[in-house]
Amino acid sequence: MSLTLCSPTLCLYFSLSLGLSLWAVAVLLVALLCLDPHSRVSSAPICTHGPSGCHVPSLADLFDRVIQHSARMHSLSNDLHSEFEQYFLPSKNSIGKIYRKCHTSSILTPNGKENAQKLAREELTEVILKLLMAWRDPLFQLHQSMAHQQDFNSFSSNKALEMGDMTHELRKGVEKVAEKMRVLGMLGNSVTGLSPAETMLPISDSGEAMSNYELLYCFRRDSNKVQNYLKILKCRIIPEHDC
Amino acid sequence: MMLNSIMYSKWAQYMFIGVSAPGKPKLTSCRSPEKETFTCWWEPGEDGGLPTTYALYYHLENSETVYECPDYKTAGNNSCFFNKNDTSLWVNYNITVVATNALGKNISEPVEVDVAYIVQPNTPENVTAVVVDEDQGPFVRVSWEKPRTADTRSGWITLLYQLRVKQQKDKEWEEYNAGMQKYYNVFSLHPDTEFMVQVRCKPDHGFWSEWTQTTYIKMPDYIPRQRSLWIIITIFSVFIVLILTWTLNVKRNSVKLCLLPPVPGPKIKGFDKQLLKSGKTEEVFNSLVIQGFPPTIDYDDLLVEYLEVYDNEEQELVLDGKDLSEDCIKSKSPSDCDSGRGSCDSRTLLLEKCMVGRKGSGSDQHQYSQHGETSWASTESSECQGLEPGSPESSDGRVKTWPVVFSSPQPHHHYQAETVKPVYHSVPEILNHSSPHIMPTNYHHLHHQDIPQQEGRHGKPACRHSQSYNHFNLDGLNTPAPGVSPSRSLEYVEVQRVNPENMLLLRPLSDPNREPEGSDYAGEDYSKVKEVTSNNILLLRRDTSHHCVDDYSQASQCTTQQPPHPCKPVIYQSNSGMPQEGMRVMGNGYVDSTVLMPSY
Repeated sequence: MSLTLCSPTLCLYFSLSLGLSLWAVAVLLVALLCLDPHSRVSSAPICTHGPSGCHVPSLADLFDRVIQHSARMHSLSNDLHSEFEQYFLPSKNSIGKIYRKCHTSSILTPNGKENAQKLAREELTEVILKLLMAWRDPLFQLHQSMAHQQDFNSFSSNKALEMGDMTHELRKGVEKVAEKMRVLGMLGNSVTGLSPAETMLPISDSGEAMSNYELLYCFRRDSNKVQNYLKILKCRIIPEHDC
Repeated sequence: MMLNSIMYSKWAQYMFIGVSAPGKPKLTSCRSPEKETFTCWWEPGEDGGLPTTYALYYHLENSETVYECPDYKTAGNNSCFFNKNDTSLWVNYNITVVATNALGKNISEPVEVDVAYIVQPNTPENVTAVVVDEDQGPFVRVSWEKPRTADTRSGWITLLYQLRVKQQKDKEWEEYNAGMQKYYNVFSLHPDTEFMVQVRCKPDHGFWSEWTQTTYIKMPDYIPRQRSLWIIITIFSVFIVLILTWTLNVKRNSVKLCLLPPVPGPKIKGFDKQLLKSGKTEEVFNSLVIQGFPPTIDYDDLLVEYLEVYDNEEQELVLDGKDLSEDCIKSKSPSDCDSGRGSCDSRTLLLEKCMVGRKGSGSDQHQYSQHGETSWASTESSECQGLEPGSPESSDGRVKTWPVVFSSPQPHHHYQAETVKPVYHSVPEILNHSSPHIMPTNYHHLHHQDIPQQEGRHGKPACRHSQSYNHFNLDGLNTPAPGVSPSRSLEYVEVQRVNPENMLLLRPLSDPNREPEGSDYAGEDYSKVKEVTSNNILLLRRDTSHHCVDDYSQASQCTTQQPPHPCKPVIYQSNSGMPQEGMRVMGNGYVDSTVLMPSY
């Protein structure tokens, strides 16, 4: 009797069968995964041929996107500000801390929940847009000055640049939301477009430009305001389980 | 005077005790639970031994107006509570605490506070943990509610929740982030153990709340079942089994060869496997037995001397034939004992016997013809019924018998003195005969035409009565063998071997292929030929009795169906086209077969 139980052809057959069964198991696993309804991910088609076959984002979706954007923006500003404080200011509550008025202090913003809830939707939307508009140029300046100064690393200057872009994007988004609301009849026509005169340059009382730190400080606050206002607006217009 | 002295005494009292102005207080923390109100706590310094009062003052950024804390009581000692009206977001508060006692006051360090960034919500409420039983195993569902004060409904504040679980004995907690939802499913908990659960929350930009009170939950006892894994394993193994089966099926021949190697069968000539399987071992072994091997020699017979008995009466009876009688007479000269008498003697004896074999050598059990003498002796007395040499087939159909005598080499010398010499007899043509009588079984009826070979060995002249015998043979034969010429010479044959069908395969001695036998001529075997097959193979019958007994192997059967009667000898015709054979059987179908006689 031959001692080799596995002739070459038998070995080939065994290996083939093993490969086949492994492939079958892989197919099974994929099938099982696909059967799980929670794992399904659906994507919206690109609206290339008009609104007929398109998945038009609803107002709720728009609001969600905008709010997420503002949250991202605020976190960026927060990071930059704390970075500044760590490296350039020895103590948080230093006596010598001089801060000037933010250039956006002329914009009347509600400073409490009730005040914010008292405002109409149109006014609230307008405040948001004003704020965002006011920061377009100062952020650009901030990035410029941070890039030039060698104290900052490239990472911080990139953040500043990103922050500026985000603000721009957010403004666009909020404008779209306002447009949608106007279409839906939620907004009256009292919202006026921002005039170029609204844009202010951050010039302090003493005439000097604000320092980077002050800019960051002011921007952090304003981004927080924007985020809060947007949330209030959303929950007032679309009261969902998130609110 | 009295008043001055009282005041002086009091002052002196203070001076003697050792009091001083209060120490500097310190603001420890300010917190807002819902981003609508906030509270500040301070830490008093040394009080200086005198009752000290604390006052909190604040002013907003970019404003010089100083306000005092509106509420010292709500939040407890050393605290200041700012209600909704006094709280402004996104505005820096500059807060200081002033400690005042009789001897002086002290002002704390100022603290900048922006309410939007000091939010720390209250703990979540109504934490409940429930065991949910499902197919895949039970799990714990923890649910809670938001802190009452936090207003998430209007979107003013957004809370993120977190819970942690551990067993009583564990040191570390297992933390899970629940996001904004107010429930969480905890899986993979150990069965039959008690767990502790706690929950806390945090605003999107702020501080974590305190952990809730511990909630206890007990997991039931269960056996974890992972069904999907078992399904996969089962299907996998089924696949493997199916493919292996198919592979084995395709390759079953080689697998069978591998696992069950063919058992080599027995390779014995004459061994019949079927017989063995049927279980009849006797028959199996019987088939192995070669007829006439080993040659059993009746030594008694060997020692018996040849005796020629001449009887006038018998002679007259016998000598009816023409030539034969002459020969017989001639051969009967007592003086000529040696000269071929043996061979001729056999003839004469044959004639004398007048087919005495009809009586049969019943006593003869041997196959060999050594008992021929005895049979002669026994049959001598039997009637010779007018057997005409010329007509072997007498009316009564008796087959002439030519007893042939073989002798073994050992007792050969015994015969030297006598006339008997070992003789090889050619197998005469088997004539179609029907005779109720059987020659004594072990006689081979042979014509021998010439025995030139034997001459030298046995010193016996060849019997040259062939012609007469031929003539003798052919006369009166009813059915002479077709194609067999009368002048056909007879030859000595030798039994080459016995094939499994119990047939003696004969070979003529003149065959050049035949190997010289040496001194094995001594043995002479008689066996009765039953039939000759188409291939000129003689089927020999082993008769052990007068009766035709069917104790042979397959083909042998009594052609006659009369058990009490001896079998009719059947004479067959051999094919004429076989010159090699040249075998003829005379008479009762006895074949003179020369078997290799080992020297026993």
